This record gives sequence, C-alpha cells and structure tokens, in this order.
Amino acid sequence: MMRIQRLQTRIVIFFVALLVLVQVLAFTFVNAAISRNAQTKVEEELNVGQRVFARQLEQNAEKLKLSARVLAADFAFREAIATHDTGTIASVLANHGARIGADAMVFADLSGTVISDTLRPQAEARPFEYPALIKANKNGASASMEVLDGRAFQLVAVPVLAPLPIGWVIMGFAVDDGLARDLRQLTELEVSFALDAPAGWRVLASTLSVDEQKALLGAMPARSGQVTRLVMDIANVDHQALVIPLDDNDDARIVAVLHRSLDGALAAFERLRFTLIVLAGFSLVLSIVGSVAVARNITRPLETLASAAARIEHGDYIEPVNVQRADEIGVLASSLNHMRGGIADREKRILKLAYEDPLTDLANRSRFNNELEQAIAQCNLGGIRLTILMMDLDRFKYVNDTLGHGVGDHVLREVSVRLQDTVIGAECIARLGGDEFAILVKHAGDSDLTDTARQIIAALEMPILYEGQPLDVGTSIGIAHFPEHGHDAQTLVRNADIAMYAAKRNKTGFAVYDPHYDTSQQEHLSLLGELRRAVDRNELRLHYQPKVSLHSAHVSAVEALIRWEHPTRGLVPPVQFIPFAEHTGYIKLLTRWVIREAVRQCGAWLREGLTLQVSVNISARDLMNRDLPEHVAELLAEYDVTPGLLCLEITESGFMEDPLHAQKVLDRLAELGVKLSIDDYGTGYSSLSYIMKLPVQELKIDQSFISRMAADAEISTIVRSTIDLGHNLGLQVVAEGVEDAAVWNMLRSLGCDDAQGFFMSRPLEPAALASWIRANHGTFDCPKAEPAIDRVLGAQAR
Amino acid sequence: MLAAGVPCADATDITLEIRDGHGNPVPDAVVFAEPVGGTTPAAKPYTRALIDQVNKQFVPRVSIVQAGTSVYFPNSDNIRHSIYSFSPAKVFTTKLYSGREAAPITFNHAGLVVLGCNIHDGMVAWVYIVGTPWFGKSGVDGNGTLKGLPAGEYKITAAAPALDLPPAVLDLRVDDNVPMRTSISLGATP
Repeated sequence: MMRIQRLQTRIVIFFVALLVLVQVLAFTFVNAAISRNAQTKVEEELNVGQRVFARQLEQNAEKLKLSARVLAADFAFREAIATHDTGTIASVLANHGARIGADAMVFADLSGTVISDTLRPQAEARPFEYPALIKANKNGASASMEVLDGRAFQLVAVPVLAPLPIGWVIMGFAVDDGLARDLRQLTELEVSFALDAPAGWRVLASTLSVDEQKALLGAMPARSGQVTRLVMDIANVDHQALVIPLDDNDDARIVAVLHRSLDGALAAFERLRFTLIVLAGFSLVLSIVGSVAVARNITRPLETLASAAARIEHGDYIEPVNVQRADEIGVLASSLNHMRGGIADREKRILKLAYEDPLTDLANRSRFNNELEQAIAQCNLGGIRLTILMMDLDRFKYVNDTLGHGVGDHVLREVSVRLQDTVIGAECIARLGGDEFAILVKHAGDSDLTDTARQIIAALEMPILYEGQPLDVGTSIGIAHFPEHGHDAQTLVRNADIAMYAAKRNKTGFAVYDPHYDTSQQEHLSLLGELRRAVDRNELRLHYQPKVSLHSAHVSAVEALIRWEHPTRGLVPPVQFIPFAEHTGYIKLLTRWVIREAVRQCGAWLREGLTLQVSVNISARDLMNRDLPEHVAELLAEYDVTPGLLCLEITESGFMEDPLHAQKVLDRLAELGVKLSIDDYGTGYSSLSYIMKLPVQELKIDQSFISRMAADAEISTIVRSTIDLGHNLGLQVVAEGVEDAAVWNMLRSLGCDDAQGFFMSRPLEPAALASWIRANHGTFDCPKAEPAIDRVLGAQAR
Repeated sequence: MLAAGVPCADATDITLEIRDGHGNPVPDAVVFAEPVGGTTPAAKPYTRALIDQVNKQFVPRVSIVQAGTSVYFPNSDNIRHSIYSFSPAKVFTTKLYSGREAAPITFNHAGLVVLGCNIHDGMVAWVYIVGTPWFGKSGVDGNGTLKGLPAGEYKITAAAPALDLPPAVLDLRVDDNVPMRTSISLGATP
C-alpha cells in the first residue's frame, strides 16, 4: 500500500473514515431495527387481523344462526315443511332462503337424511355430508365452513320445531370474493380462502387478482390443521402470511390466508431509511468540508513554517515567520523566529570570523578572493577594469621579532588604518596574512593606479609611532590589471605578487606587472632545474679574490666567489641565480657545496704549503640552519683545516631576518673558532648596538661607499668613521671594491686593515690564484701606473 | 283426572306403578289397556277433554283421550294463543283467540299429537289418542290406574311422551273383582 504523506490528507481520511464507520454502524443498527420493527408491525397487524377475522367470522356465523333460527321458527315455513310434500318443501326452502340471502338451503329429517336441497334439487335422498353439524347441537344452531357441491359455504344448521324438532334446515352462505373484500376492509389484510382439493390447493375466494392468486397457490404450505405463519413470495413481493384452518371438521380442508405485503409495511420505513441516507450523505459532505477546514487550519501554518524553515535553510533571515496564533503552532512559529534571529546572528559572527581579519577588521584572504571573483564575474559583462595592488611591509619581521608581537600588531593596525584613509573607493582592502595586504579597485578609467601606489608609499613613509618611538616600515607594491594581466583571480593575484617581488628586487617601491617578469620567472624556474643538476654535473666553480693587507701588502686571505659555467649559457653571474636560490631555499644546498669546496681547496693549498684564510658568503637562510655549525666542524675535520682558516661572511640583512636564531648559530660557529665577518656593511639598517653583541671579528665596508669615496668627501667621511668605529669595536675592517691606487692610498691613510678589489686582482681560479701569489711572493706590490686600465677591467668583470 | 268408566259390577281396577330404567317413578306417563281378542267399546259421543292454557303453558302438558274425543282449549291467560299441530294424527291450527273462543278439536285417529302455540315457542303439549276406553295417567308418584276392566286378556301399554322414553308393553290377565297392582318399567329392556 501507498503511504499517505500529506498530513492534511491523513486528517481528512481519518475523520471521514471515522464518520463513515459511525454512519455505517448507525445505519446498520437503525436499518436492522427498522426491519425488525417492520416485521413486528406486520406480525402485529397480522395478529390483529387474525383476531378481527376470527371475530368477524364468528359474528357472521352468529348473525347467520340468528337469521336461520328466525327463519326456522317462521310458522308458514314450518307449516310447509310439515306438509312432507317435497315440492312444497323445496319451494319454501328456495323462497325463505332468498329472504335471508342464503345461497344454499337443505332440509334433512331427524335422521339426517336430506329431504330437499336447493343446490342439488334432483339428487336422490342421501345422508347429509356433515352429520357433525347437525349432531353438534340438537336444539340450538351450529355453524361451520364447509364445501358443498365444490363451493365453500358458511353452513348454519337449525332444527325445525313443531314445536318439537321435526328436522333440520341447513342454510349455506357462500364464501365469495365479496366476503373476502369485506374482511379485508375490516382487517386491512389481503384475505383468501383456499381449499385443499385432491388436485391441490384451489382458491375459493380472494381479494387478490387472478395472477396473484396463482402465486399464492404456489406458495401455499402443506395442510397442517393449525395456524401457520410464513412469508410468501407473491409476485416477487414478500408477504407475511397466516394460514388459518377454518372448517370445524377435523379434515380442515378450508383455510383462510391472511397476508400483507412487507413492502407495503416497509414503505414508511423506506422513507425513514431514505431520510437517513440523505442525512448520512449530508453529514459526510459536512464532515469532509469540516475536516478539510480543520486540516488546513493545521497544515497551512505548518506549510508556512516549513517554507520559513526552508528560507532559513537557504540563508534568508530577513523575512520573519508570519504565523500569528495563540496555540502550539504559534509557539513553534515564535520559536522558529527566535531561531532565525539566533542563526542570523551566529552566521554573521561566523562570516566575520571566516571572512574578516580579527586584528585589523579588514577582509581576509578568503573574502578578498571571493570579492575578486565576483568583481571579475561582473566585469566580464561590462567594460569595467579591475586593479589589484599587492603589498607587503619591508622589515616587518624585524620589528615583530625584535620589538615583540604587540608592536607588530600595532604596526599592522596602523598600516590598515592608513590604507583605508589613503585608498578611497576601493572595492576591498584585505590583509592576506602576515604583513601582506591586497587592495581591489574597480574603476572605469585607464588609470594604472600608480598614483594610488605612490600615495600608499607616501602614507607609509611617515614613521609609525609606538609609545612615542618612531618605527620605520616601507612597502613594496605589485599592481595587476584585469583583464590585461589575467582573466581569473588566481592569475591576477599571482601576477600582482610577481610585480610586487619585482618592485622589491628593483627597489622601485612599486611595479605594474609586466609579462617580462613572468618570463624571467620562468627563466628562473628552468634555471632552478638546471641549478639542481649543476652540482652533480660539476658545472659550479669557485673563484678566489685575494684580500691584501693594507699595512703589510701581504696576501693572507681570499674570498671564495661562486661561478656557474653553464654548458650552453656560458658563465652565469651569481646575481642571476643567487637571489633566486635564496628565494627557493636552494641556497642551502648551494652553501653546503661552496663551504665544502672552499674548505677542501683551503686544505689542498695547505698541503701545497700555501696558508690562506678562505672567506665564504653565507645567506640569511643558512643562519636559520641549526646544523650549519656541525656541518662546518665536520668539513674542517674532514679536510684537516684549522677553523681559523675559514671565515664566514654574513650580510646585515642576514642577521636582521631572525636575529635571535642567527645569534645562536653564530655563537656556535664562533665557539668552533671559525672567523665571522659582516659583509656589505652600510647598506642595511643594522644598529651598531646589535652588531656589538655578535661574535664577529671583521667588518667589510660595502663597495658602493669605497668606489665613491675618492670623489665624495662626505662618503669618505663615512668610510673613515666606519673604519674608526670598527676599530673601536675591536674589529678588523676590510674595504671591498678597491679599484685604483688612489683609493688604496686613501684607505691606507685611514688605517683600514685589508683591501679587496680589481686593483689588486680579480677573482681567480685556484690554480691561477696560487700562481699569482707565488709570482708576487705573497705580497702585493702597489703599481703606480695604469689605474685606468684596471677600472675598465673591473667594469667588465662586474 | 276422570276416566270414562263403564258401569259394570264385574269390573276390576288395576294400578300400574310406572318406573323408569332406574326404578324411579315416572309422572305424566300415560297407560292404556287393549283387550286381546275381545271387542273394544267405542267412545261415547260427545266425550270431551280439556287442555287449558295457564301462564303460557298447556295444562295438563300430557293428555290421553279415546279417539273421537273433542278437546276443548280454554285460554286462561289474558293473552291470545294460537294452537297448532303438525302431527299426522291430527293437523290443525286455531286462530289467535282468547277465553273460550276456540272451537273444540275432535281427535278421531289414534296416535300422538304434539301441540304448540304459534305465538309462544316454549309451549308444548302432548295428546295421546288411543282406541280404548281403559286408560290412565300417572301422578307425581308414578302410579296410574286403569278402572273398570272386565276380566279378560289385555295388552297394557305405558308411554311418557314428554320424556322421550320408549313405550313399554305388558300382557295382563284380569279376573273379576280382583284388583291388581303391577309395575311397568319404561326404557327397560323387555
């Protein structure tokens, strides 16, 4: 069976089924009662009819007896009878019989012999057929229903007195249809008289039509001599019938049949039944209408609630549940409303968590991506342009690490405030994470948004104050336009990122994306793959540039510089792959190789009798590697090199990335006895107080100062003070990029300790270097001539 | 009741005790004697009998007369009666009358005549007509007397017409001057 899902249908079916059941039961009972009543009524009618019928027959008999007695007492009648003249007797019988309406007159003498008979005048003398009638009451009169000559008569026998009985007069009153009709009038029943003749039942008289009589005969029961009740089928109508034996003789051949059609009796009940059915139908319709109304009253608000719940499910929290009722459904609706409010609030909070940066209240990366995708979808339809600006903060990590996260957070909040103040009308300003920010601008014009980028840079140039202390954070901004720089969010963000790195690399502050960046990126990528193989294929070389003592002109140290002899590209300069290796982390492998090679070379030279301290550049990332000191120790042991012969050069930025960690690694290296040097000093922002804490022994002044000091007195002053500073801190001071004798001499006069540069020697292969040293006997003789040639050579090398 | 006697010195009276089958005396029974082989004297002319009507009853209810006797029907009631008989021995009807208006009816043939009143169905009387002068009727004691019978052989008949008892017959020899007393039973098997 099909399950009925709808509540409304279920309610309607339940009520209607209930009502139908009740009505069917009621109808069944009422109907049974009606049938029973009708049956009872008919039976009662029959009983009454039977009594009336019997009484009427009795009265008829009495009346006939009386009449007969009167007749028999008539003197003339008696006189005529007493003549014994049969002709006279016959005529007086006929005459007097006619007087009282008798249909048959018989005279029998005291012995019961028929003397005269009006029915059968020609018959011979014979005993009367019903002697019991005569003998029953000698002096009175008796009556009985009997058959004479094939016809039914009510017979009355009275004696003829003269004055003593001299014979009997028997008078017969025909039992005919008239009698039956009279009896019907009294009893209100159909009346038939029937005779059980040898050939079967025969109707003697009846109120029925001929056809009905035939039907009646067909339904007659066997003769029983007693009153019989039965139901007869007469002309396809059920009749409740009584069969009453009539003649007093025991043969009981004559019966009266009283009957009444049940249909006639049931007619009134049929009307009642019809009324009942109409009432049932009416109440059924009413109950359907009522239960539908009740069900709708319940299910309508339920449907409203369901659709409200569906709206909530789909995230529509605006429209309230509109069911105003005082009942349980109203309570449910009100609960649903509260739930709707609760869900809306929670969802708002969740959305805030999901799409907002809790620190700055700016959008987060997810939100930014969504906004960008939506904006792209909208812009695809119209001719609107989109621009994204991707930026991060320079030196943020340093601020965060040295001054604490509280300060970092303060800086981020301040940056976000400045961004919001500066960039007006941006679609979205987001903090993507860390110190990375992104701005989405929708604009119609052909502006490349560089003005905005400049404004941002300007806004962030002003130092951020933290508890009165100024903090200096710069920024690099990458710009990518839709649709020129990408058709999807991912590409745009990546390209803006690339532009940002380009800006950082080129120190231009900002950069609009250029496909060239991308190809250089691609180049880097292919270079990466090749770089990985370079070590295995032994394509990397170390060249060594001598460090010359300005005091003794003695060559006691060299700086190892990496060279890549690419099989197809030729010699690839370090600037093309070192920053890239630093970004990708490959620098670690590279550094390992460099250190190993340098230490090995150092050991090789030692065995050749050449004691040279070898400097190796290591990057900020190398300082993050805790294993570096162990590794260095192993290499020194492996190639039997005293630690003092290895010098590791670190740039200022190398410390600044993660000063605490860097310090630990440097301390470990210093413990080993490895010499440490600060490279490119002057380009960064490292504070001297910090450098003082580091276990370094050497300070290398950046070549940008050295190369310009001869021409610029101010820079010359800086170099001088730096040299003094280094000395005051107990450091050995080295000058890089010495390209002519003038500088050489200036540095000497300033008391700088060592010098390095093309003026002395360009970086050389190990064998060439060894030869160079042996040729100069371990010292550098300062030539006085041809400084210009050196300068040209140096430019070429760089 | 007076019976017409024959003045004869040599006559004998016979008393008959008339009883029913149970030996009870039967009143209003008639008895008469017919000589066997002898002659029977006819009734004297103008012999009369009387049946009165008192309180819508015939009085007496039972009478016995010799054939040829004229019976008078005086009416002592103050209402009229109409006397009739359909009996074969004498069929007659009187008109309605009162007092002594009715003419006497002479019964010439022996037999039983039942009298009725045409007006009053309840009135009935029996007149027994015999061909002998020796007859009598029982009183309440059931005894009837036959007077003045000459010696000889007689057939004596007793009947009670009102009681519907069968008559009884008795043969009897009568000797001179010897009164006899004998009983006769009605309804008894002879």
